[in-house]
Amino acid sequence: MSEGRYLRPQRLDEAVDALKGGGWNLVAGGTDHYPARVVEQRPEDILDLTGLTDLRGIGEFPDHFRIGALTRWTDLIEAPLPGWFDGLKQAAREVGGVQIQNRGTIAGNLCNASPAADGVPALLSLDASVELASAGGVRILPLADFILGNRKTARRPHELMTAILTPKPARPARARFLKLGARRYLVISIVMVAGLLEVEEGRVAGARLAVGSCSAGAQRLPALEAALTGQPADAGLAMLATPEHLAGLSPIDDIRADAGYRRDAALILVRRCLADLGGLR
Amino acid sequence: MNTDLMVNGQAQRLDADPRTTLLDALRNYLHLMGTKKGCDHGQCGACTVLVNGRRINSCLTLACMHDGDEIVTIEGIGGPDDLSALQQAFIAHDGFQCGYCTPGQICSATAMLDEIAAGWASHATKNVASLPGLTVEEISERMSGNLCRCSAYPNIIDAILEVAAGKEQS
Ligand SMILES: Cc1cc2nc3c(=O)[nH]c(=O)nc-3n(C[C@H](O)[C@H](O)[C@H](O)COP(=O)(O)OP(=O)(O)OC[C@H]3O[C@@H](n4cnc5c(N)ncnc54)[C@H](O)[C@@H]3O)c2cc1C
Ligand code: FES
Ligand code: FES
Repeated sequence: MSEGRYLRPQRLDEAVDALKGGGWNLVAGGTDHYPARVVEQRPEDILDLTGLTDLRGIGEFPDHFRIGALTRWTDLIEAPLPGWFDGLKQAAREVGGVQIQNRGTIAGNLCNASPAADGVPALLSLDASVELASAGGVRILPLADFILGNRKTARRPHELMTAILTPKPARPARARFLKLGARRYLVISIVMVAGLLEVEEGRVAGARLAVGSCSAGAQRLPALEAALTGQPADAGLAMLATPEHLAGLSPIDDIRADAGYRRDAALILVRRCLADLGGLR
Repeated sequence: MNTDLMVNGQAQRLDADPRTTLLDALRNYLHLMGTKKGCDHGQCGACTVLVNGRRINSCLTLACMHDGDEIVTIEGIGGPDDLSALQQAFIAHDGFQCGYCTPGQICSATAMLDEIAAGWASHATKNVASLPGLTVEEISERMSGNLCRCSAYPNIIDAILEVAAGKEQS
């Protein structure tokens, strides 16, 4: 039986250098990687990212925040961050139980690209980009261009995600995240909704909404975002959301819910999210 | 491959295949059988241990990822002659039936009480600005990563509540 290689680089340059050779499976928290392998532990080459401690933590810059790729959900929950991160923090508190939050990384959630990944809609509503590094250099991609579909991303095999970048909103902003599962805990989401409103003089100056688990990758709702802009920022925003605004979603039937249920639930969650966001003072 | 671990206060050198999970290393190499394998999947919490003070599922992590880390298992929390307050409370409140989930429950609850002492809010915390009042709802939320197939939940929560109340007074 082949041993399988194992490497735990301590520095980014060592990691990208190793990736040039190819064939590696990257592991950060392991909370997506290992459950997928429980039946059969086949030999594989593991590039363990947990030694890259420089990539763990959240930094503030003049116009954006930088979430290092090794930042765990618990790190995010504990970090003092502005209120428009509340949606992402709400998502973080519901990723599995605390044992999962203490190990699982935000970047791992994005790179795994499950349609039910809670981080994706929350970060889409923050207009996030991702930073990818390879021996050839660094490139930055909008998150929406990084997630290509169900477990498909634009990451090239020799690339590593190094950070998630979230721009600071131009105006005062508030954010929310809502998730529906068959049970309250430890379940894969049926629908999740993330929303961010920028508010100026009592009116919506900008809106970003994203729905997850209702298409191969989470989707923004541009038509609804346009309809909200300029409206009074109160709980009445909820009733502006119509089924047509969700026409771009393509929910599937699966063991958790059928497509019709998902569509209905998505509209209800979008409305609750807007009522909540509009009602905040 | 060699990995240096500090397990329950003792330095241990492990020589194992790099694919060995921390759970298998604890049980099969270090013969600490208190940590249980329920699902090997991250779903049940029976394998919960403390790594550098934080609770994690030992089935989802490789032993070699923890070179230099401090690990506490149920054996390190207390033995028959020096039971911790939580272990005593689990006995007093019948916080188990078959007992399979119990080491994980107690490791998890031990870390949880530390988290609360440090003032961390959970998803169930209504007012994030004030220290969480320890309600049944709050404990259920924070212990949601530990399942009990025998459904001893009410007694588990009673045991945790008793210890938490004691901590508040002291
Ligand atoms: C019991 C349980 C409950 C869960 N509940 C939820 C939930 O409610 N919501 C949810 O969204 N998820 C959930 N998950 C899934 C998982 O915990 C999260 O997606 C987590 O954020 C994954 O992060 P990780 O660091 O553990 O990823 P890993 O398992 O280490 O990696 C996941 C994938 O990403 C790749 N990868 C990781 N980091 C990088 C990087 N820096 N660059 C390039 N590629 C990288 C890996 O190669 C792998 O393919 C749950 C998992 C379990 C076991
Ligand atoms: S054995 Fe690790 S969570 Fe079940
Ligand atoms: S006591 Fe039997 S599983 Fe919890």
